[in-house]
Amino acid sequence: MFKNLFNPKVKPEGKEPRRLWLDLGDLGDLVNPAGPHEQWQDHGMGLLRTILHQNGVMTDMFSTRQCTSWEEVEKRMKGYDMLIMNVRSYTFPVAYRSAQIFKKVNPKGIVLTGGMHATVALDEMLAVSEFDKICQGPGENVIVNLVTNPDAFPRVILGVGAKSMADWPMVDRTLWPEPASKKLAARFNWPLEPECGWGPPPVATILTSRVCPWQCAFCNENSYIPNMGRRPVDTVIEELNYLDETFGPIGSVVIHDSMFFQNPSWLEEWVDKYPKYANKTWPYWAAARADTVRQWPDLFEAVVRKTNWSTVSIGFESGSDRVLKILNKECTEEDNYFAIDLLTRIGDEMEAKGQKPPVFWSNIMLGIPGETREDAFKTMRMLKYTKRIMPSISFYAPYPGSVLGHQIIAEGKSLMSKENYHRYPDDEKVKGIDYQFYRDLLSGKYDDEVNRGLASIRQQRVDFWDALAKA
Amino acid sequence: MSSFSNPHYMYLFDMKNGKKKLAYGQSPEDALEILSYRLTEEEMAQIIPDKYIKVNQRQLQAYVSELG
Repeated sequence: MFKNLFNPKVKPEGKEPRRLWLDLGDLGDLVNPAGPHEQWQDHGMGLLRTILHQNGVMTDMFSTRQCTSWEEVEKRMKGYDMLIMNVRSYTFPVAYRSAQIFKKVNPKGIVLTGGMHATVALDEMLAVSEFDKICQGPGENVIVNLVTNPDAFPRVILGVGAKSMADWPMVDRTLWPEPASKKLAARFNWPLEPECGWGPPPVATILTSRVCPWQCAFCNENSYIPNMGRRPVDTVIEELNYLDETFGPIGSVVIHDSMFFQNPSWLEEWVDKYPKYANKTWPYWAAARADTVRQWPDLFEAVVRKTNWSTVSIGFESGSDRVLKILNKECTEEDNYFAIDLLTRIGDEMEAKGQKPPVFWSNIMLGIPGETREDAFKTMRMLKYTKRIMPSISFYAPYPGSVLGHQIIAEGKSLMSKENYHRYPDDEKVKGIDYQFYRDLLSGKYDDEVNRGLASIRQQRVDFWDALAKA
Repeated sequence: MSSFSNPHYMYLFDMKNGKKKLAYGQSPEDALEILSYRLTEEEMAQIIPDKYIKVNQRQLQAYVSELG
């Protein structure tokens, strides 16, 4: 059924052009990765290559992550007629350089780009003359025609997406890049994915929904991608069972949705069917919001307890109402503490029964324009208050495309540029922020202030430096 | 339960220099107060409080070049 959605109008005549799909990331991340998250596979690329191949449009592929030098990238690019890249803001510098190299070694070649950065920062994409075609928005219903007949399209193309994820084919995971060293291959479990600390390997990553409908000022993905129907519960379970039987046994699952805990009727069906029909009730990582937990606490408890939701990702972001408002998080300190107390109670009860308690994995932001020292102390206090948490702390990054990012850039306060989007955790990103204060805060210099009002058991020193991550 | 009980909206305020300032909150007044958390008094003084439009976040891209 799905195949019929993609019917190329023009079939290429004669010899097929040689097409290369370049997976993007830091050099060496699939050789000797710096961390687990650099090894995630690109579901967008997997989906689009699956659609192309199902329609007889073949592509070769390698990843910059499989290479350890730009000379190697150049060598592997030679002889292709077309380069295709899914560009995100943090991979934009790699895409930019790759396109330059591709044109150098294949002067007559054409470069097709798409992805989130094309959607949120078109001006930056347009400034790169090597990008011959730029597809904005979802690409699943245009990719076949675009790749087989690029000349029929203008330089900037508005992509066409499926109405529902039910229309998507199952991603052919063997189209993803393989680990490029024996050492990494031994623990990668390709085409499943390696352990990242959230659950036992092999890990199956999967999407059940697309686009978070909230409008946090640091993200705003909902501004660009129309909402689409959620993937049916049955299909999600069928895919997990298929992966388990074909490539497994699966150890744990990562549900990569921007917002998993939404749509109560879907979640109720998940609670009913996942424990019944999945080959095993694998533990999984998935995301919620503090206010959705507070809105549907009974449902939250049921999902945690009955479906083995072992790692609950909530972007608490801050422990201060002022900062939550600056971020347009539309959650309050009270919402955050409600969610923390609820999961702590559930965890304590499970632990008392000898079960493994669920933990939070939480994005925390510091260095937000307008944040005071007291706001930052409140955030660190919230972190220390939380009994079971894996924090991922980052300095606020004003990405173009987000509401606050656009505004900070327009005010001339951003320190980010297209050369340094793929920043390091400690990078300074906004003018006027006292980053030394935050470094000292993470190092424990202000623990007396942070510990004020905390129970003594929560006052123990925690080294939060290791939790500082790329934003 | 903010997003369920007190949803936020986006506003574009005119500025004295001809640019626009993006803000968000439960009301235009709330949006200005939130803006004041991160802007200086001088920066706030550039905003014309009663000249604004309410915008849908899907329309924001159209105004990016006008921001200041």
